[in-house]
Amino acid sequence: MSRPIELRLNGRPATIPDVPDDERLLDTLRWRLDLKGTKEGCRTGGCGACTVLVDGRSILACLALTREVEGTAVTTIEGSASDPDLARVRAAFEKVGALQCGYCTPGFVMTLGGLLKEIGRSAPIDQFLRGLDGNLCRCTGYASIVRAVAEMREPGP
Amino acid sequence: MASFELLTPATVDAAIATLRAIEPARRVVLAGGTDLLLDIDDGRAAPSQVISLRRLPWRTLDWVEGSLTVGSTLALRSLEKEPEVARRYPALAQAVRAVGSVALRHSATLGGNLARAAPASDLIPVLLVLDAEVELVGPTGSRSLSVDRFLVASRRTAIAPDELIRAIRFPEPRPSAYLWQRVRRVHDISQLAIAVAWSPDRKTWRVAVGGIPPRSVLLPEVAAALGGERPGSSELHTARARASRAVALVADRRASEEYRRQLVGVLLERAVRSALGGGAAG
Ligand SMILES: Cc1cc2nc3c(=O)[nH]c(=O)nc-3n(C[C@@H](O)[C@@H](O)[C@H](O)COP(=O)(O)OP(=O)(O)OC[C@H]3O[C@@H](n4cnc5c(N)ncnc54)[C@H](O)[C@@H]3O)c2cc1C
Ligand code: FES
Ligand code: FES
Repeated sequence: MSRPIELRLNGRPATIPDVPDDERLLDTLRWRLDLKGTKEGCRTGGCGACTVLVDGRSILACLALTREVEGTAVTTIEGSASDPDLARVRAAFEKVGALQCGYCTPGFVMTLGGLLKEIGRSAPIDQFLRGLDGNLCRCTGYASIVRAVAEMREPGP
Repeated sequence: MASFELLTPATVDAAIATLRAIEPARRVVLAGGTDLLLDIDDGRAAPSQVISLRRLPWRTLDWVEGSLTVGSTLALRSLEKEPEVARRYPALAQAVRAVGSVALRHSATLGGNLARAAPASDLIPVLLVLDAEVELVGPTGSRSLSVDRFLVASRRTAIAPDELIRAIRFPEPRPSAYLWQRVRRVHDISQLAIAVAWSPDRKTWRVAVGGIPPRSVLLPEVAAALGGERPGSSELHTARARASRAVALVADRRASEEYRRQLVGVLLERAVRSALGGGAAG
């Protein structure tokens, strides 16, 4: 079976025609909608490169059927400039230079943006760092990413 | 062409009717999909119909007289974010946080973890020591059974082909703890895990071991050795000795038998102390 799907995509209503029932959100984004910012790493839930937001919550697009997110608001890295939390994470990554090849970066930005929405800007840094447990980076050694997290946070009261 | 058709029944009755209408070998139920979609990728499951539970009203968390009922399709992340869960059932919160990553827990559910009945599940040992009950719903109504009776063997449960897990019910809140040992803290499978809980109503301990095949099990003789609420060093010593003999600890690529035998006692003692101290374990 394949049917059209309606959802919000990066802030705008979208209708995606002919989505097969077994298609993964990752493949719909990359190959049907040409939104190549969302990366495929492991395709088994273990690397976080495919992280996107669904109704503001981070999920792994490699482990989600597109039809299951029907009617929700999906945000990818391509929509990050118009979302204040995601823009904040991006700015921190840019300022610190928290990337090398950049393949993992969209996943880190989406995960951290989702955490900002969930736990707020002044949550303890440990909660952000533990929240990155599912995101792998093979270039930076993580030190610069940890600095970007510190940059992105607002020091608590 | 899609390899399967996705069905999204809007009511519990419609979901059960859908199960009954399709031969069990041809269909499978989908909750968060974090196990199922990988099974489909690997060819371990090859359904022609996938029945999504997304529209059923089971993403719930209810307190009745201080005890907790979790709807089967509630995301693990929602469970972990409820402060009262960590306060009243500390082991449950610790085990949930041990599962994958935040993004995984936004999808993965308690019902899916239990239905899957993996020997390495981090949640099942805790369900055992908290005496959790599984609520099943099927064509003739609903029934409840203990998690211990629900689990038959590795990846096998007592669920009937036309039944669904509706909820998991936890009786009284319990001082409890869940501790695991892994080579890496995340994205790894525990070499061994221990859950303990003190039941104020029954005045007994419950101890369960996980992370070893064929399934997580309760260890009543170890629990009995702990005695009353505040086991002293001799009770702990006996319990540790019994624990290292109680289960058929095997060697596999994750750990040697000898290491596991050592580990079981160490984790047991730490878990009891954590449960009593309300310690910030896990
Ligand atoms: C990268 C990664 C890391 C992981 N790490 C851990 C870990 O550290 N610890 C751990 O314990 N697990 C871990 N898991 C597994 C964990 O994600 C799953 O066990 C999850 O909890 C299953 O829930 P789900 O909703 O995704 O189930 P699904 O994949 O949707 O379903 C799993 C099975 O249960 C059945 N099912 C689901 N819901 C019901 C229901 N209500 N009634 C009847 N049958 C049902 C399905 O038919 C299927 O057979 C990991 C998985 C991945 C991909
Ligand atoms: S591609 Fe989805 S987690 Fe690696
Ligand atoms: S910057 Fe290359 S993988 Fe992270």
